[in-house]
Amino acid sequence: MAHPQIAVFASSAKGGARPVRKIEGQGSLLGRTMHGIAYDPIHDEFTVPQQFGQAILTYRGAANGEERPIRIIQGPHTQLDAPEHLDVDPVHNEIFVPTRHGTILVFPRDGQGDVAPIRVLGGPETLLGSDEPLAVDAVHNLLISGGRLGRGQARLLIFNRADSGNTKPKAVVGGPRSGLNAFGGPFAVYPAKEEIIVSVRGTGPNADMSSDEAYVGVWSINDNGDVPPKYTIGGPKGVLRMPRGIALDAKNKNMLVSDKRLNAVLTFHFPEIF
Amino acid sequence: MPPVESFPLKYLGAEEVKQLDTRIRLQYMIDAAMFFLRAGLFTALCVLAAAGLISDLGLQWPLAVLNELAGGAQLVRYDHLPPEENEECTYQPIADALGPLAAAMPLRSALMQARIAQGFTADLSQREPLRMIRDPYAAYSAVAVDNTNNEVVLTDENLFNIWVYDRNAKTAPNASTEPKRLIGGLNTKIEFQCGLYIDPANGDIYAVNNDTIDTLVIFSRKAVGDVAPDRELHTPHGTFGIAVDESAKELFLTVQHDNAIVVFNKLARGTASPLRVLQGDRTGLADPHGMVLDTRNNLLFVTNHGSTHQVRPSSPGTRRREEIAGWPLTRDDAVPGSGQILPPSITVYPKDAAGDAAPVRTIQGPKTQMDWPTAIAIDPERNEIFVANDGGNSVLVFPAAASGDVAPLRVLKGPKTLISNPTGVYLDQPHHELWVASFGNHTAAVYDPMANGDAAPIRVIRSAPPDQAVPGLGNPHPLAYDSKREQILVPN
Repeated sequence: MAHPQIAVFASSAKGGARPVRKIEGQGSLLGRTMHGIAYDPIHDEFTVPQQFGQAILTYRGAANGEERPIRIIQGPHTQLDAPEHLDVDPVHNEIFVPTRHGTILVFPRDGQGDVAPIRVLGGPETLLGSDEPLAVDAVHNLLISGGRLGRGQARLLIFNRADSGNTKPKAVVGGPRSGLNAFGGPFAVYPAKEEIIVSVRGTGPNADMSSDEAYVGVWSINDNGDVPPKYTIGGPKGVLRMPRGIALDAKNKNMLVSDKRLNAVLTFHFPEIF
Repeated sequence: MPPVESFPLKYLGAEEVKQLDTRIRLQYMIDAAMFFLRAGLFTALCVLAAAGLISDLGLQWPLAVLNELAGGAQLVRYDHLPPEENEECTYQPIADALGPLAAAMPLRSALMQARIAQGFTADLSQREPLRMIRDPYAAYSAVAVDNTNNEVVLTDENLFNIWVYDRNAKTAPNASTEPKRLIGGLNTKIEFQCGLYIDPANGDIYAVNNDTIDTLVIFSRKAVGDVAPDRELHTPHGTFGIAVDESAKELFLTVQHDNAIVVFNKLARGTASPLRVLQGDRTGLADPHGMVLDTRNNLLFVTNHGSTHQVRPSSPGTRRREEIAGWPLTRDDAVPGSGQILPPSITVYPKDAAGDAAPVRTIQGPKTQMDWPTAIAIDPERNEIFVANDGGNSVLVFPAAASGDVAPLRVLKGPKTLISNPTGVYLDQPHHELWVASFGNHTAAVYDPMANGDAAPIRVIRSAPPDQAVPGLGNPHPLAYDSKREQILVPN
């Protein structure tokens, strides 16, 4: 992709809408391969990974233009290797960052500079894969991470939020009946309905680019084992081709999903999941 | 003919709709011709039947044809069927009821059946989205000129096409420019093509994929529509810029993610290994983007956005991806905590640099005005380099011999230039023209290479009518919802 940026759109934007603001340029310190972004409504901040520079960047909520982050976590003590995904728990003030070598690093939300993680989850018992997406349910004190047993065998690993070390997940969702093939991108949790909302890549000859088997699936935080999604949204055989990230607009009962092949952001009105 | 994938018409881009409209018009013409042909035959047979000639000759086929032309089998009466034994209303899973249709959608029906078994019966998978943010027009990324055939070629990171225009194409004031041809569709493996090279000998198009397909695709200049590439080269993840040394038949690619340059045989294909790799702490490579060769002085110029980290060979068995022999070290080999976000730079190397070679000089510093320098071109006659300065909405011109913190000789920037987030730049030496592709406004524009300041272009190519809004999406991945401002955050 030629041009890195964070574009910000009105929630009602559609078609070829112009962003209401953009964060971009050298001064922003942004880089490519931002596969995670978390908005913190309590502190009015958003946080992204900076993979090539091995950093975590936090901006004020209204950031605009070539604006520098208000905090940067970066340095030898961080253990950051190629941060790609992340999530922020604004209640317990923590940032969760998976690594490429099967661990999840947890930093203080207000960490600044060369800070060491306050705990690390990792080891063979965790079943963690390499830099998989994750999400935190601060209400039920859960950490949900992607895991992978092999190609086409994605798993949702459900941990207690504060787990550390070589700890087994308390539940594992996945298997042939689950329809969990491969994660499309970062997923979302909706604690009020105890849901995990996951973009799932499709299969087929061009699955690296596009598949009409792709969809967004809704599971429960109480699921365990080879459980199918409660709902599928946008497919299979729907409009989605390569769904990526998911965000929730609970007030308007909308689910937002990005799609790489459509190069678009889609808004689904889905009161059933709220 | 551009590719039209099987999503609903309203999700297609403007050009796709236009081409689809052409197809539909063609189909209407064929249908109309068939209608008149059938009507003529029907009339002739009616006349013959009325005259009693068909019956007199004992021929049956004209009557069958007449019946077929009249619409085939016709209802003359109906009767109620007797009820079957034990008939009752029974629950039948919708997947079973769909029968052959369900067989055509195995995942959907499998999930549906699994949900039914769990007590969920609602299938909401086909609900249409309320709305979609999607630019219906091409977003130009890289640009190159085919002087042999007098064409200009542009990559498009929105609709995923390669667009070929006449080099002198005229653009009406309130319209988009008519292309000569398009290459695009799933068979082409074209998505986020950010680097472009045209073979001066035969017009072959080399288009570099950034980080979604990991494949360099090469098309002959005759390629049109949704065709497979004539040649493919599997590449490291995150390639961006391309340069070719025609005398040595070597092909250079920058690799953003690995802070490396890989050099292949120009005709390499498949999983060929690179001839050499430039990578290491001393190279100064930091999120490298564009690249250009100075063949007179045997130098290689590389633009860098500035982010970097160290790499060291990792333990066997710990790699996430299968690698090709001779590839650079990857993110799997990143040294944790070694990352830096440095100022942007242009690093200059001997053309045959390899290993952990240091640049012979570096252009870097606040005077340079560099802000996400992306593509780069060279004028060997005037010994100047041109830099597409994405973040600065400008094109910077430096002496090729510049070093350190130097101010540009000229800066092309301002509202008259129409330059907006430029990501592609190409110097057409034979015609003494500078091409700039702007990702930010659907425009590729032509300038005098000596242009300076807020200079208007000589002519433009546009994928959209002027002043159309640009979402600027490019491989959107994660999303966040700002509930305070009711806004959607979309990183590229």
